[in-house]
Amino acid sequence: MSDVYTSYLPANAPEVNIETQPFWDATAQGRIDLAVCDDCGFIPWYPRLVCPDCHSTDMTWTTMSGHGTVYSYSVTRAGVGRAWKEHLPFVVAYVQLDEGPIMMTNVVGCDPETVEIGMAVTAVFDDTGEGTSIVRFTPAP
Amino acid sequence: MAASRHMHEFGTTSAQLAEIKVAASTHAQHNPDAFLQDVVTVEQVLDSRMISDPLHLLDACVVTDGGGALVVVSDAVAKTLDRHTIPVLGTGFGFKGTNSGRIDLTYTGARVSGPAAFEEAGVTHGDIDYASIYDSFTITVLVTLEDLGFCERGKGGEFVLDGALQAPHGRLPFNTDGGGLCNNHPANRGGMTKVIEAVRQLRGEAHAAVQVPDCQLALAHGTGGSMATRMGSATLILGRD
Repeated sequence: MSDVYTSYLPANAPEVNIETQPFWDATAQGRIDLAVCDDCGFIPWYPRLVCPDCHSTDMTWTTMSGHGTVYSYSVTRAGVGRAWKEHLPFVVAYVQLDEGPIMMTNVVGCDPETVEIGMAVTAVFDDTGEGTSIVRFTPAP
Repeated sequence: MAASRHMHEFGTTSAQLAEIKVAASTHAQHNPDAFLQDVVTVEQVLDSRMISDPLHLLDACVVTDGGGALVVVSDAVAKTLDRHTIPVLGTGFGFKGTNSGRIDLTYTGARVSGPAAFEEAGVTHGDIDYASIYDSFTITVLVTLEDLGFCERGKGGEFVLDGALQAPHGRLPFNTDGGGLCNNHPANRGGMTKVIEAVRQLRGEAHAAVQVPDCQLALAHGTGGSMATRMGSATLILGRD
């Protein structure tokens, strides 16, 4: 779906658990896979093996489009730890996937001053170097 | 991000948020223990360094040491005391999470805790003479005022104009000790000072310059966690005996 690359932001490897293993495996291949409830259709974020809405255990891992819009954002200009300091300013955002869930992420690959709410974005996959990728977003072409 | 979204949905402005800091600083000038005692203007807030858009340095609380304590006694003991005692008339608690990815940054758990406290106390918003509102950032106050029901959702920006939050004569004097924005903010214990200043107001023991005349009913509200996503809210309504 999308190439795994390396952005200018730190991409620390996540702690993977049984509920999130398929999600992280997919990120390594440039996909967002989320568990969709077979019974009510809800797509929880973060991924769960039990639907938090209807408590169904029939969840099917499904590949998302990777497209979304910026729900909200902030340009962080100060007040971060050492690993991030050299990357200031950077954009922290909530992005709503076209399929519904809103995830916290970064918008990368553009001038932070050009980011705005409602902007169309596409997922990019930031290699952690340990078999997973961090999902970030860049302005849609 | 809560502030960005609020601006997007409701047209709230940085200048409106700055009014909250102006009110807090106006009060803090009378508090010799306040960390920041200088009165600031809307322009000074807007001209201060941008930290995390759209919040400037002066939209944020201070970070300080601090502490506090409350003595809670039975009615029997209270009757023996020769000063105003402060009954708890209403309490409310509210929690808000990420709702499994259905994020909404425009409201907080105060939407639950506020009505519960008002119902238990049997009073209305117009009855409240003074409010202590947890103020990690200016936006925290603005959204909390909406959620508690002091104004309509989305109208917080208009509500705080014209010195509405300034003691002693604003529509809803708030944080007369200077609050977290100017007085102190001891890590995640910002709620304690909120209750203490409300008690001072009800006893008539606030600084004379910010004492609300004949303060009979006060509200104290605490917010904890990540605003609107992983958080708790607590509301107290206090009276005077």
